[in-house]
Amino acid sequence: MLIWFLPAFLFFLLIGLPVFFGLLAAPGLLLWLNGQEKDITLLYRNVYNGMDSFPLMAIPFFMLAGEMMNRGGITVRLVEFSQALMGHLRGGLAQVNILSSILFAGLSGSAVADTSALGSMLIPAMEKEGYSRKFAAAITAASSVIGPIIPPSGIMIIYAYVMGESVAALFLAGIVPGILVGVGLMVMVRLMADRYELPPAQRVVLTGTQLGKTEWWVSFLLVRLNVGLLLWAFMPVGAEASAAVQWGLLIGALVIAHFLFIGLRRVVSHDFRMVCKRAMVPLQTPILILGGILAGVFTPTEAAAVAVAYAVFVGFFILRSLSLRDMPQILANAGITSAVVLLLVGAAMAFKTVVSLSHAPETLAGFILNLSENPLILLFLINLLLFIVGMFLDAGPAIIILGPILGPIFTDLGVDPIHFAIIMSVNLTVGLATPPMGLVLFVAAAVSKERVETIAKAILPFLAVEILVIFLITYVPAISMTIPRLTGFAQ
Amino acid sequence: MGGLLSVLAPIGFVNEFALRIGRAIGVVAIAVMVLAILIQVFFRYVLNNALPWPDEAARFCMLWMTGLMAPTAFRRGGFVAIDMFGRSLPSIPGQILSLFLLVISLLVLVVAIGIGWGEVTGFGGKFTTASLYLPTSLSFDDWFRIPRSWMMASLLVGVILLTSVNIELILRGIVTLMGGSDRLRPIDDVEMLGSE
Repeated sequence: MLIWFLPAFLFFLLIGLPVFFGLLAAPGLLLWLNGQEKDITLLYRNVYNGMDSFPLMAIPFFMLAGEMMNRGGITVRLVEFSQALMGHLRGGLAQVNILSSILFAGLSGSAVADTSALGSMLIPAMEKEGYSRKFAAAITAASSVIGPIIPPSGIMIIYAYVMGESVAALFLAGIVPGILVGVGLMVMVRLMADRYELPPAQRVVLTGTQLGKTEWWVSFLLVRLNVGLLLWAFMPVGAEASAAVQWGLLIGALVIAHFLFIGLRRVVSHDFRMVCKRAMVPLQTPILILGGILAGVFTPTEAAAVAVAYAVFVGFFILRSLSLRDMPQILANAGITSAVVLLLVGAAMAFKTVVSLSHAPETLAGFILNLSENPLILLFLINLLLFIVGMFLDAGPAIIILGPILGPIFTDLGVDPIHFAIIMSVNLTVGLATPPMGLVLFVAAAVSKERVETIAKAILPFLAVEILVIFLITYVPAISMTIPRLTGFAQ
Repeated sequence: MGGLLSVLAPIGFVNEFALRIGRAIGVVAIAVMVLAILIQVFFRYVLNNALPWPDEAARFCMLWMTGLMAPTAFRRGGFVAIDMFGRSLPSIPGQILSLFLLVISLLVLVVAIGIGWGEVTGFGGKFTTASLYLPTSLSFDDWFRIPRSWMMASLLVGVILLTSVNIELILRGIVTLMGGSDRLRPIDDVEMLGSE
């Protein structure tokens, strides 16, 4: 009898009941009809226990850091930096749009924020350069899905929590797939640039800019520290080397990094350097987050809090683009948005209890294995299912609902849980840009003032690329698993 | 209709007022969360002294932030739902469906209030938190250990606020169904990002 909670839930969902209530109403109703009233109390308890979690705190923190960075005017700097690197190519601004999304992904992890922040800046600029509005909106929406794939990522925190996986492992596993989506889109833009004669753009739009003293020194130090530490990390020194040797090598690496940049000064123009320096401070955020987690200094939650502190430091003391007056609104936005997600996760944990009580995964596993016993075919079918679900439901709720049901089945079939998490996350994230319910399509339509249907048609070539990448990720586990394995976060 | 509007007005006012206070507390809670975790990082890595309370204090704040801010999202239509079916229906059946969905939500919330009250006042609520204390004297000599029920009350308060918002939305739905949507005060909207 209890297995009927799934169709009941699906019915509630399809008639439009908010997912939070559906996750509780369907199992609650079935438990009541089954005479298991006491277990309804268990549902409530699990909502509370599901929310009372330290790892989940990373969600409001990353949202807050992203919101502050965004309000602090970093979007302009990232776009200028991307333009300095890729603007001169054919289809320059479209390439800039994609690269900006990749960089933005390391700061915010939200496709919606990406579309709205980059779209409001780049869509009018692209139109001015002769791109059609629908193309500009489509590439903005298509590239924004990189946001939740490259860390930090809200949906990966949710998946990790609901499924008991390591947040750090999922973050690391998302890096290459995210970049791959970006590279795929860049190749498609390049092909379209030849066909539709998409123009290159001016490479450096900012001339004669000087940085403030604080920002100049901070970026001066950051760039040398990053490159110096990278050089030091790759130096062939055994762990048994004394502290004095280690320090000596570190200082040596910093000196090499310094002279490297002195040498580079002669190669690039002053304006180009200024654009790069202006992007240095915001681009430190993902390095701080991932570096801290990888070095074992922070947990992902602590890294998220440090990201907030860094955003405060950048916004108030370096860029000086934030004021205390902005803070209540920023905090309220981050709080309200996270509250909805946290409630959903709590309800998902309650739902998960009923999933196990009902033996639904076993029943569904039997059904799925009846279709085929070949994991490759099953992965193909599951990708189809996820893609269809993604067309109607946002990635977060879809992960919350499907993760506990599908995850154990594929783990039993021998698919690595982290690999499956990435397949699911990337597929459902791409669903954010698919009609009829793609969230970012609506945001792109609002930002560009173009009709959703028109953007939905223009986005098709880019969706084809993203589907190709999903299958690549599915059938080549090394794409997602190499970094977590190399860093010891996966086996 | 006049009777309905006169019931709706005070409920709307109370909700607006309560949610504004909730948002203000939520804003403070999220700031305290960040601060607590940063203190934890500082003490653990810089002073090599792991404090027991920041983790629990931050979770305390997160639970209250959720309980107090989620109702604002619900009132502003920020709860995730697939509304395609409702939107594809003609106006009147669509409005009736919305009302039906709100009634189901209300049932869930009413059951949750009953259970939540039992949980907060029951056995589980009688325990104390592991590391949270409040000073009960100005000289900081006496401390009161915060009971777990204070944490558990966050969800109960959240559910009560959601119920109040739900009742307001049902009344608004009935007024709309009766053709009085132009007489309703608009609910302010915000950008909802979700986890995506």
